[in-house]
Amino acid sequence: MRRNLWLYRRCLGAQLRATLEYEGDFWIMSVAALLTQGMGIVFLWAIFRAIPQINGWRFWDVVLIYSLVALTEGIAVLLAQGAWSMAVTVNLGGLDTILVRPYSPLLQVLSSQIGMNGLGNLALGGSLFVAALLHVGVAWSPGRIATAAFVLAFAPLVKIGLNVLTNCSAFWLKTPWSMFPFAFHTLGELARYPISIYGVVVRVILSVVLPYAFMSYFPATAVLSLGSSSWLGVLTPVAAVWCLLLGRWAFRRGLLRYESAGS
Amino acid sequence: MARIEADDLRKVFRSPDKRPGLAGSLRHLVERRYSEKVAVDGISLRVDEGEAVAYVGPNGAGKSTTIKLLTGILVPTSGEVRVNGIVPHRNRVENARGIGVVFGQRTSLWWDLAVRDSLELLRDMHGLSTAEYWANLDRLVEMLGIGDLLSSTARRLSLGQRMRADLAAALLHDPPIVYLDEPTIGLDIEVKDRLRAFLRQIVAEGTTLVLTTHDLGEIEDVCSRLVIIDHGRIVHDGGLRQVIETYARERVMHVDLAARPVSLAGIATRLAGATVIEERDGLGVAVTFDPLAHTAGDVLTAIQAELQVVDLRIKEPAIEDVVRRVYAGQLIPGPDDSPDDSPDDSPVR
Ligand SMILES: Nc1ncnc2c1ncn2[C@@H]1O[C@H](COP(=O)(O)OP(=O)(O)OP(=O)(O)O)[C@@H](O)[C@H]1O
Ligand SMILES: [Mg+2]
Repeated sequence: MRRNLWLYRRCLGAQLRATLEYEGDFWIMSVAALLTQGMGIVFLWAIFRAIPQINGWRFWDVVLIYSLVALTEGIAVLLAQGAWSMAVTVNLGGLDTILVRPYSPLLQVLSSQIGMNGLGNLALGGSLFVAALLHVGVAWSPGRIATAAFVLAFAPLVKIGLNVLTNCSAFWLKTPWSMFPFAFHTLGELARYPISIYGVVVRVILSVVLPYAFMSYFPATAVLSLGSSSWLGVLTPVAAVWCLLLGRWAFRRGLLRYESAGS
Repeated sequence: MARIEADDLRKVFRSPDKRPGLAGSLRHLVERRYSEKVAVDGISLRVDEGEAVAYVGPNGAGKSTTIKLLTGILVPTSGEVRVNGIVPHRNRVENARGIGVVFGQRTSLWWDLAVRDSLELLRDMHGLSTAEYWANLDRLVEMLGIGDLLSSTARRLSLGQRMRADLAAALLHDPPIVYLDEPTIGLDIEVKDRLRAFLRQIVAEGTTLVLTTHDLGEIEDVCSRLVIIDHGRIVHDGGLRQVIETYARERVMHVDLAARPVSLAGIATRLAGATVIEERDGLGVAVTFDPLAHTAGDVLTAIQAELQVVDLRIKEPAIEDVVRRVYAGQLIPGPDDSPDDSPDDSPVR
């Protein structure tokens, strides 16, 4: 375990050095991330100007959820962007090399990219998070702080696990494009808003089938003790482990049918 | 000790039978028809420690697929593999510690990293101590002449430079087994020579080597065993020298003459079984003979008795000649004696 983490850091560090050579990219991507997330906030603000409350959620509550998405997404992008390279790695034969190195193939894939735009997400998410906390007016007890820290530490792992799971479709689809997992990523964006506003089907999908809601909505309910299902947020670590296991399972199934590329 | 044991390995690729265009794709969704391609069709192979095996065959014969099965990259459709006593595709990390692999067409270096950074990452993955790392690296740098490549990014290396850096990456942990799949593709003569010398050295030091190539010249002085594969099956497996003695035994003596001879018939009658043909517009003669029937001395004496010799060369049979016969379909296994039963002498047809 320690060796795995240490090697993971080594791989990411090497990618970081390589990425910093393209400094231009870093700024463009960060600004792009800031703009996309910022637009979302403007959108939220416009809605709440018209309707002050949605299902009992006020503007700053939703900003809090929103900031959690930005934070967890930022961490996932920064630390495990390699999941999105799966389609290329698997279907253009790059996996061959990975499979003959003495380090977990999945961890090699995950650490094969570092998404510097994650920093943009983190910066914006962090500021929104602090701003939201100042406005939502919860009483901070040591217990609540501990719950928040605990739950939030696991939230990014939910997204990483789901990224692995959906991107493993590359083994079956056999195209170097990530359209299919990206569709699910877009579905996951629905969890930027309180999922209680959706119909039951969407809610079940987002909380059970592909539990994207555990990267933001449920952790937020736990932190705020809001809504009837706030206890669910405490299950975030369980959801995270479940998603990671699913991802690993899919990757292993994929390796069994991996055909390399003719050469 | 057997380093590699493969038993009746098969690999079948299944590819969708899609008609071109969107209509074809949609139709495939409904019909789901596949065609199967048997790339490796029942290969059994045992390679002992320290053996150097040349694995040759025409394009599409299944060489790369076999290597991918032996290295654990692909899971066999059926059959069994053991390498260093473990099943490669079930225990990839453990397997990777004991092997070094180079695919000529593909780099194993990190594209955007300096070669040195790639090597250091591999050092950490293999868990090499600093002392081991430097000892191995120094040796590889010297043998492969890559000292001044270490600080370049893999992306910026020329093909030959990249190949040498790749070899260093594959051998950094001093693996007991090395697989090289067409390692000389696109290399110039000088680099090829250096690589060959290098391979001879690691084999002499006890490394087990499996080498696939189309550049047959390099097999002769590196490998001691030749495995020929075609259509996914082994058609020959035996000692390299024996193969040459059996299938490419004849030698050719080329002589240059001072003057055009009147007739060559005299030479032919002195050397039973040899063929004599005219070369260089009559100013030369080529005598093809079996060294077991006539010594080179006999042949020269016979020629000199008839003609005045200015210069001579003897051409040894090359492994190219053997394999060319296989390529031309002359050396294929009979229906009732499979190569597994008689690995050392497949019949000539
Ligand atoms: N990933 C794949 N999917 C489908 N068919 C494949 C795949 N890889 C190889 N094949 C087929 O399997 C056969 C054997 O291929 P392989 O690459 O092993 O040949 P090879 O002996 O290495 O040839 P070459 O000398 O051209 O490198 C070929 O007919 C090839 O088309
Ligand atoms: Mg090949």
